[in-house]
Amino acid sequence: MSPFIPQPTPIARRHFLHDCGIGLGKIAFAGLLTDAFAASNPFAVKQPHFTPKAKRVIHMFMAGAPSHLDLFDYKPALAKLEGKPLPPSVIGGQRYAFIRPDAAVMGPQFKFAKHGQCGAEIAEVLPHLAEVVDDICFVRSVKTDQFNHAPAQIFFNTGFSQPGRPSLGSWALYGLGAETQDLPAFVVMSTGNGLSGGAALWSSGFLPTVFTGTLFRGKGDPILNVSSPAGVDAKLQRDTLDLVSTLNRQQLAAVGDPEISTRLANYEMAYRLQTSAPDLMDLKSESQATLDLYGCKPDEPSFARACLLARRMIERGVRFVNIYNEGWDAHTALVGNHTTNCKKTDQASAALVLDLKQRGLLDDTLVIWGGEFGRTPMVETNPALGRSMGRDHHPQAFTMWMAGGGIKGGLTCGATDEMGFHIVENPVHVHDVQATILHCLGFDHERLTYHYAGRDFRLTDVHGHVVKDILV
Amino acid sequence: MSNRTCAFSWLIAASIAAASAAADAPDFNREVRPILSRYCFKCHGPDDKSRKGKLRLDVRESATKEAKSGAIAIVPGKTDESELCVRIFSTDKDDAMPPPETKQELTAEQKDILKRWIATGADYQPHWAFAAPRKGALDSVDAFIDARLAKAGLQRSPEADRATLIRRVSYDLIGLPPTPEEVVAFETDHAPDAYKRLVDRLIASPQYGERWARKWLDLARYADTNGYEKDRERPIWPYRDWVVRALNADMPFDQFTIEQIAGDMLPNATLDQKIATGFHRNTMLNEEGGIDPLEFRFHAMTDRVATTGATWLGLTTGCAQCHTHKYDPITHREYYGMMAFLDNADELDLDLPPADAAQQQRDREARAQKLIAELPAKWPVEKGSVDEAFHAWMEKESARTVAWTALKPAAMKTNLPLLTIQPDLSILGSGDITKSDTYELKFASLPAKITAIRLEALPDDSLPAHGPGLCYYEGPKGDFFMGEFQVSADGQAVKFASTTESYANNNFGKKKDTPVSAEAATDGDPQTGWSCADRPGEAHEAVFIPQQPISAAQLDVKMIFGRHYACPLGRFRISVTTDPRGAEAREMTDAIEALLAVPEAQLTDAQRGKMREHFLLTAPELDAAAKEIRALRQPSKVQTTLVMRERPSENPRATFLRNRGEYLQPIDRIDPAALSILNPLPDGPRNRLAFARWLVAQENPLAARVIVNRAWAAFFGKGIVRTTEDFGYQGASPTHPELLDWLAVEFMEKGWSQKKLHRLIVTSATYRQASKVTPAMLAKDAENSLLARFPRARLEAEMIRDGTLRAAGLLSLKMGGAPVRPSQPDGVSEVAYGSPKWNASGGEDRYRRSLYTFVKRTAPFALYNTFDAPTGESCIPRRDVSNTPLQALSLLNDVVFVEAAQALGKALAAAPGDDDAKLKAAFRNVLGRAARADELPPLREFVKAQRARFGGSGAPPLGENKSGGAPLPPLLDPKVFAGGDAETAAWTALARALFNLDEAITKS
Repeated sequence: MSPFIPQPTPIARRHFLHDCGIGLGKIAFAGLLTDAFAASNPFAVKQPHFTPKAKRVIHMFMAGAPSHLDLFDYKPALAKLEGKPLPPSVIGGQRYAFIRPDAAVMGPQFKFAKHGQCGAEIAEVLPHLAEVVDDICFVRSVKTDQFNHAPAQIFFNTGFSQPGRPSLGSWALYGLGAETQDLPAFVVMSTGNGLSGGAALWSSGFLPTVFTGTLFRGKGDPILNVSSPAGVDAKLQRDTLDLVSTLNRQQLAAVGDPEISTRLANYEMAYRLQTSAPDLMDLKSESQATLDLYGCKPDEPSFARACLLARRMIERGVRFVNIYNEGWDAHTALVGNHTTNCKKTDQASAALVLDLKQRGLLDDTLVIWGGEFGRTPMVETNPALGRSMGRDHHPQAFTMWMAGGGIKGGLTCGATDEMGFHIVENPVHVHDVQATILHCLGFDHERLTYHYAGRDFRLTDVHGHVVKDILV
Repeated sequence: MSNRTCAFSWLIAASIAAASAAADAPDFNREVRPILSRYCFKCHGPDDKSRKGKLRLDVRESATKEAKSGAIAIVPGKTDESELCVRIFSTDKDDAMPPPETKQELTAEQKDILKRWIATGADYQPHWAFAAPRKGALDSVDAFIDARLAKAGLQRSPEADRATLIRRVSYDLIGLPPTPEEVVAFETDHAPDAYKRLVDRLIASPQYGERWARKWLDLARYADTNGYEKDRERPIWPYRDWVVRALNADMPFDQFTIEQIAGDMLPNATLDQKIATGFHRNTMLNEEGGIDPLEFRFHAMTDRVATTGATWLGLTTGCAQCHTHKYDPITHREYYGMMAFLDNADELDLDLPPADAAQQQRDREARAQKLIAELPAKWPVEKGSVDEAFHAWMEKESARTVAWTALKPAAMKTNLPLLTIQPDLSILGSGDITKSDTYELKFASLPAKITAIRLEALPDDSLPAHGPGLCYYEGPKGDFFMGEFQVSADGQAVKFASTTESYANNNFGKKKDTPVSAEAATDGDPQTGWSCADRPGEAHEAVFIPQQPISAAQLDVKMIFGRHYACPLGRFRISVTTDPRGAEAREMTDAIEALLAVPEAQLTDAQRGKMREHFLLTAPELDAAAKEIRALRQPSKVQTTLVMRERPSENPRATFLRNRGEYLQPIDRIDPAALSILNPLPDGPRNRLAFARWLVAQENPLAARVIVNRAWAAFFGKGIVRTTEDFGYQGASPTHPELLDWLAVEFMEKGWSQKKLHRLIVTSATYRQASKVTPAMLAKDAENSLLARFPRARLEAEMIRDGTLRAAGLLSLKMGGAPVRPSQPDGVSEVAYGSPKWNASGGEDRYRRSLYTFVKRTAPFALYNTFDAPTGESCIPRRDVSNTPLQALSLLNDVVFVEAAQALGKALAAAPGDDDAKLKAAFRNVLGRAARADELPPLREFVKAQRARFGGSGAPPLGENKSGGAPLPPLLDPKVFAGGDAETAAWTALARALFNLDEAITKS
């Protein structure tokens, strides 16, 4: 069959019923559960189109959009042009969110220096990243179609600017299945002030709802309702599940609906989640050295803790982890904003790469870091909004970095013009990033499709090229 | 779990057909077209832009003609001469079809179907869905079902037992389970019409409208917030309540349609008919700072076209946004023709004054009059006599009063909004606005020596929040921001010596850091200017004093509006004075100002009284007392709802075909036009109302089929056409085409009555049969396509919560009104932008039906989300039905179920009778039916064991609540233990277990 449709077919379930019959008495219950579950489990492990380099993904999404010009893409020419507007020929017909197209240029706000053997040039506010530049690949030529936060975030995650399509993580689960049944296979953590794109960022869209990302909360139950209510001890919980299971099995025998078997299996998984989730969250087993590497306080929700948890998740078989850090939207006082956000994220982002490498996990884990667009070379100043020394949204060019999972380390791909405005070398559209992520996971992005509303949908719509230059 | 799509359904249908069809000729509609459509039409179909080799396979005349290559794709009866046949079997990568680079391959079975089709004459038939439905020989649901079952050697199952039946039909018709009393009454009602009476009662119940409104709101993408980043609350629940009322009243579906699409255009449209147009106001509204509002309006328009297509036509019209539909006969141009019908409307907030609004108004004015009469008595003694103060005020204000002459523009120009001159020479703005709007006005016939120019910003009922601005998103409604006010006299720029305003306020930033003023609108910087935030619906003014008096033949005024959101003035007036004293801006109504110009001696008593009242109300000495009076005279805040209003004929909105569907690439202006494949639009105006009537015309082959199919799916889990949203070439073929047609015609003949349709279905024996699965059924029809049994299905999210609350005796049946917020754990809503808190409703609202739960698009209510409810972001004709561990965690631990278990547990503990009696009662409460003999022992044991544990000396320690955030109410209240009430504890634990049974959340 040519279109890739890995959904569990009704045929498979029919087999189960056919083979097992309805006479349940003869079959051991444990075996029944396993069979039923295998037949109808949408998370059953599936083979992608070719041997993947990456088995899992950790995506650090810098929501609000960091400035490529002040962190990764050094443009001394901007300092020289400071105070003058850019020529209209550069601006073209670009629409802006806040500034007027004739706003003056603002020079780089931080000092830059070269690091590592590869000589990657990055800003002084990223001292930890400077230590791992030889393991990562900077892509300085990413561009997007959207210049507002919510549409651009949704576009990056789903390939479409409006809510309603499946997210990257959902596609990954749909295509690959899950390697653990004890934790959700697609986890989302958010460490900022709430996200512009909202729940659409990890939605399964028109894919079956089971492929939706599961939000891990910073405080309280990591997974909603994973704790039993007060007053319910382990014994009562076990007794309850046993009673439920007994009666459900009797019902299965009476009516023969295989959906009941799936439900039985799900109650056992829920019970395991009640143990595995707290176990995941308990950082006592981590050494002080590891905690220090990330800069993580075990009981304090933070970006650093989310990164460490992400490593623990992928060790336990989680397929796709999103870590959102909201707050990069520096329309005013960029220096303060980016200093704060770098303090929050730099150490842990670098630590994650180092830690994965030390544990031999980096080779088959794809790590991604970046925002939804870049920021303008022009300054944002507006007395009626009380703003100065900021930058507006810039869709034409921005920088991301990736590491592990089939990506070459110590590489810088693509380049922008001397104002950091347009891409002049190796343009990488968001659809290309998506195609490349799927490629690392073993998929031809043109063949990973889902038939809905009359046509075969893809993450990359009708676009996207794998960025071969950055692959190992 | 099941899938939203059913890629294999046509194969299943085909194999069923194959068993009975003897001839070799495959059925074109069922077997051939799906293959051609899926694998060939993309390059050889309706879209001439992407057509390859000038070959078109969707039309027989083209397919049998010579193509560009010289070969003929289809030579009927001759497979060897048919290039199509040669190519699909070719192994040469340059010749093979579909081409290898498409990464699509035909199966051997598919190739065989095409070969047999050509061999047997390559007969084309019109697509079934585009031909009008007709009734055949059979005339009941069961007749069709039975005939089909008989062909497959199957039989319908016997009728379900009474308890199962009442629970099934109750959930289906009113979304709620029956009470135990209702079950028992039905079980013991042996009258032959017992079931019919039950159905009549349910269909007449007010809860019927709530249940079916929920289904409709999935299509309407209903939500209580705007979506996107800010996702602010919006007032549209009056539309939701309209749907409930319309369904309860059994409004004929054609009327139901017309009112929602174009209710505002009906002659003498009622308030309700206007509210109904909220259907297409459920699109999202992006309020993120800096967006292009017209771009997102375009996205809303594409949503409207796609939603209309899916809801009424069962067509994936959205596929033709970027190019001609690759499979179905809908051209790119036709897509925009359909959009043009819906495009020509303004989107406004409609005031919904309460029924006693006039009386309220009179009461407030009476109170105001009483307070005014008391004002003089409150005049502070130390300030002297009130009469003297009034006199002094009159003198002072009279001296400041100048004669203003309102100017009538000789010409007006804007970048986009429409300006029209009103009788009072004010100018009203309407239509679309942008982030940078420019108004240019020319004035001629001017008085000489103009010493001041006055700009009044005026309220108007046509404006958002009554104006004076046109802002409708992101900023406060009715806001404006004037960045520049430039005047030139006979071409020479006028410089101003001073500028004053009656009021200025900035919506953004700290007031002291971000000042706004009329003067800032004369500084040459459009980023600074004048704004009057926080006082919508009031008049304000600015007065500009030129450095030199102006004597000119022509005055040009240019105003530049906008900031990071669109906000031009909505109503304004420009006046001048030649008074040599100049003028200052002040808060004064026209009436008072006119009186101030009258010499005091000539004032009548009434005029004097008016002025005195104005003085008293504005005197700083009485400010505190006057405040209450001013508030009483403010228009009272009324509920609003979002509606459509057709554009006036002088300002129609142009609809453009967009290259590749891109907002920034408009090409041709397109007039409204109906889809050519369907019934023609009758002669007459081509507008939204005509479009609405066309959708539900008797001649439309799709609408009735689509509606009855969705109703069928609501009862049986799957539609007769599995792809309820797609009746096109790519959609599934109907499993019972004749039944679908019969239902559609019957539906129209019975006046498009949904209640009659639902009654027809639920009174069929097909609906009433048992759901038990037998090996014979599995062998012959595992998917239950033929309905030899009733399909068991998990309940919808809302039914699970409502049913549980009802079983626990907690459910409130209060209907309608503003949405409510039942409890959910912290951290669910906070993930959305701005980390909004979820302030849970108290009292009865905690337990209202789920239909009334506040729908926040970017942070959906967690419980419903877990059980596959939609988020309101797009039209959902079919919900997914998943089965996950997170659902188990919700049922075990979510606050709704904890509270339900506590309520039921308490009731059981207090109930009379022994354990068995209580267990039977509990079973009835949660599952409706009586417990079977084999079910009682494990229940008995559980209660006994828990009672022993809780009552024994070693009662288990209370579990620590690890959930954090808002504490879950403990399942087992510590006070219960303190009282040694092991009974309540044990029965609560039992209730919790029952709510977790598969059957508790299943319709069997």
